[in-house]
Amino acid sequence: MTPRVGSATLALVVLGLPFASFLLLAVVRPLRRSAPAAAAVSIAAVLGSLLAALLTMRGAAARAAQQSPSTTWSWIPGDGGPMATVGVMVDDLSMTMLLLVTLVSFLVQVYSWAYLHDEPRTSLGRYYAYHSLFAFSMLGLVLAPTFLQMFVFWELVGLCSYLLIGYWYDRPSAARAAVKAFWITKLGDLGFVAGIVMLWSATGTFDFWTLFQMGSQGTLPIETLPLIMFLIYLGAVGKSAQFPLHVWLPDAMEGPTPVSALIHAATMVTAGVFLVTRAFPLFLLTPDLLTLVAWVGAFTALLAASMACVESDIKRVLAYSTVSQLGYMMAAAGAAAPEAGFLHLVAHGVFKALLFLGAGVVIHVFHTNDVFRMGGLRGRPWIWLPFVIGTLALSGVWPLPGFFTKEAILAGVFDARLGLPFAMLSVAAFLTAFYMFRVVCLAFFAPPHHAGQAHHHVPGAMTGVGWLLAALTLAMGLRQVVGGHHETGGPGWLPWFSLALAGGGILLAWAMYQRRAIDPARVARALGPIGWMASRRYGLDALFGGLYRGVLLALARLIGWLDRYLVDGVLNVLSAWTLRAGDRLRRLQTGQPQDYVYGVALGTLLLFVLAQWGLR
Amino acid sequence: MPLGAYLTLAALVFAIGLFGVLTRRNAVGILLGIELMLNAVNINLVAFGRFHADLTGVMFTLFTIAITVAEVAVGLAIVIVIFRVRRTVDADHLDLLRG
Amino acid sequence: MLAFAGVAVVLLASSLGVVLTPNLFHAVLYLAVALVATGVVFLLLDAPFLFAVQLLLYAGGVVAIVVFAIMLTERLVGASIRHASRYLVNGALVSAAVFVGVVAFLVQMPAAGPRPPWPGELTVMVGRALVGAFAIPFELLGVLLVIALIGALYFARSEG
Repeated sequence: MTPRVGSATLALVVLGLPFASFLLLAVVRPLRRSAPAAAAVSIAAVLGSLLAALLTMRGAAARAAQQSPSTTWSWIPGDGGPMATVGVMVDDLSMTMLLLVTLVSFLVQVYSWAYLHDEPRTSLGRYYAYHSLFAFSMLGLVLAPTFLQMFVFWELVGLCSYLLIGYWYDRPSAARAAVKAFWITKLGDLGFVAGIVMLWSATGTFDFWTLFQMGSQGTLPIETLPLIMFLIYLGAVGKSAQFPLHVWLPDAMEGPTPVSALIHAATMVTAGVFLVTRAFPLFLLTPDLLTLVAWVGAFTALLAASMACVESDIKRVLAYSTVSQLGYMMAAAGAAAPEAGFLHLVAHGVFKALLFLGAGVVIHVFHTNDVFRMGGLRGRPWIWLPFVIGTLALSGVWPLPGFFTKEAILAGVFDARLGLPFAMLSVAAFLTAFYMFRVVCLAFFAPPHHAGQAHHHVPGAMTGVGWLLAALTLAMGLRQVVGGHHETGGPGWLPWFSLALAGGGILLAWAMYQRRAIDPARVARALGPIGWMASRRYGLDALFGGLYRGVLLALARLIGWLDRYLVDGVLNVLSAWTLRAGDRLRRLQTGQPQDYVYGVALGTLLLFVLAQWGLR
Repeated sequence: MPLGAYLTLAALVFAIGLFGVLTRRNAVGILLGIELMLNAVNINLVAFGRFHADLTGVMFTLFTIAITVAEVAVGLAIVIVIFRVRRTVDADHLDLLRG
Repeated sequence: MLAFAGVAVVLLASSLGVVLTPNLFHAVLYLAVALVATGVVFLLLDAPFLFAVQLLLYAGGVVAIVVFAIMLTERLVGASIRHASRYLVNGALVSAAVFVGVVAFLVQMPAAGPRPPWPGELTVMVGRALVGAFAIPFELLGVLLVIALIGALYFARSEG
């Protein structure tokens, strides 16, 4: 496919509209306090960005392979050219991401208006301000032409995640989840920033295109490159919830469901995969690291899938599912098939958003997240059909996009001769189909938990968006079928194999939860220890919690003590001494004139002494 | 007599005057001490003027005497006002400048 | 030589009397003696004009003023005219230190020669200087005296 470059001006428009919306909402208080006005501003801005992104895509021109797709301006000056630049890189990768981010942002913001209808008016303005800021940050991240700029927006995205997870800041669990997300991703970010600084000190530049040129010409300093790329990969580990930094994503479900759909399914968590894909020419130079990426990805996929099987909270299941799918994408990148991973990223973004928003619908209906309290929706297909379409897509059933992308990933991993990762991904695929249909059976088709509670009216905006996304999913799948997907390689039996995995999982779930033919409790006992460990999240959360409390908080307390008693202490002592000295000196002013004469006389004596000294 | 003798004499009188300023409790007594100090200064000036045959010393003394008289007048007027207001001229009680 | 010694003794004794005597009235009288002795020192220094000025202004005027002031500020009924001094040791120490400081400079002075003669009659020279080189200070002195007079009058005015 010939590389293309899009208009930098349009890209700046895409970037600028949400930023303007955020500024307006942040600065103009009356605008923010009026929820309809705030929502209107934010939605209009992101809609404008969506249109601009579409225009960028359509108007993209072919470029020569040597031509850089970036447009940059000097930012931090340095001798011999600027030390850092800012700008936009509008190539196929970023244009696709622009479209994904703006589309899902727009749909989620519209959905939020109905979902959060009961929120206090003034809070909602804050919500939309955060959404605008997030859109701006994510768009800036995908458009970044340099590591440094990407890092700046990376951190901004993390900030928005914190703000939105902790949107209901008066809930202790939400506040804790927001802090947890922030800390865990910050761990990864430490690696990221260390990596890019080392890269800069070795090469003198942050710019992607320059680095790619240097890589292809062999002028990159190779010795430290594995370490550098590993550190950069650590950032992706944190942001894209790879093992062991995946623990923040399930807890991030404390945020409103639309937020989960946007950030923790379609956009922010994909930033790590995007980073690996964007910097892939550099990763190609460190094949051992790529193998590690693939192994970690595959392991994460399996681990998360196992934990999803024992969850009863519908959002948690979807969160683990996201972690699992992110593992898939990373495994693809690690198997030197980043296109497959990226395709899965885009497809997954659409149908995972669909699933989350659909989950939002049932949560709205039942006022609970627990699937065991749901059920009895068989007679209302407009509620369950989008969700089932999303589930089928996620499970990898033909002709939906999940089938094609998962097959491509499996093919890539197989071709790279990564045996155990392939096995892990296969088992994960089976489990994915299983736990998703478990949820479908329990939440929709099972007998109602309490008779007569499922008559709650669902707002049209929510179901409408769901149908839109379902239609989009179907369209994406059909496009693959009709257009003839490009060669994915892999053995001929692979498509049948992946279909069999999906089918097997669906069948098992149906048998266990719909027909009750196999008793789930007996299966749980049979898989005893694994199930027990899975339900306790394999102790990882406890590990991180212990580390946080033991190390981080202790360190913070120590530094706090130092600050209070040493830093402040020194100043307080100095000021106390000054006050005391002043008090003592005050007693010199007796008011008696003769005492002042004493002073003059003593001063004169001092002058005599000094003069005598000077005479020597 | 050599110059040094006059100067030493003047220094002695000055020191005695200073002693009076520092120790006297009555405000008028302090002014008397100041008079002694000024006298000593005059002796100094005239001695230097004489031993250098410089008229400036003598002129200076003349002016000093005149100014001193004015100063005594004003100073005593202040003392009288203080006495009227506070009914005392005891320097121990005049501590309004106390900090 | 002898004259100087005599005058010096009188001056020092009367000075000590000024500062040490408890009776303020006696102190004023001692001051008068000290002022006259100073005048004689001026005579010894070949400045008869100054001797006259000293007697007129100081021994005459200042002493009179001070006597008046004492009369006005002492409680003549009941309270004694005795006012003691205090902190004698401190004062003596500081005064002695100042004296020693000055003398330390004096001993480092080179020995002065004999007195050079005055170029002319002193009084005539003073008169010429007052309207010649020192004319402006002379006029300013007049202004100063007027100011002092007005100030003293203002202070001493009766209330109401």
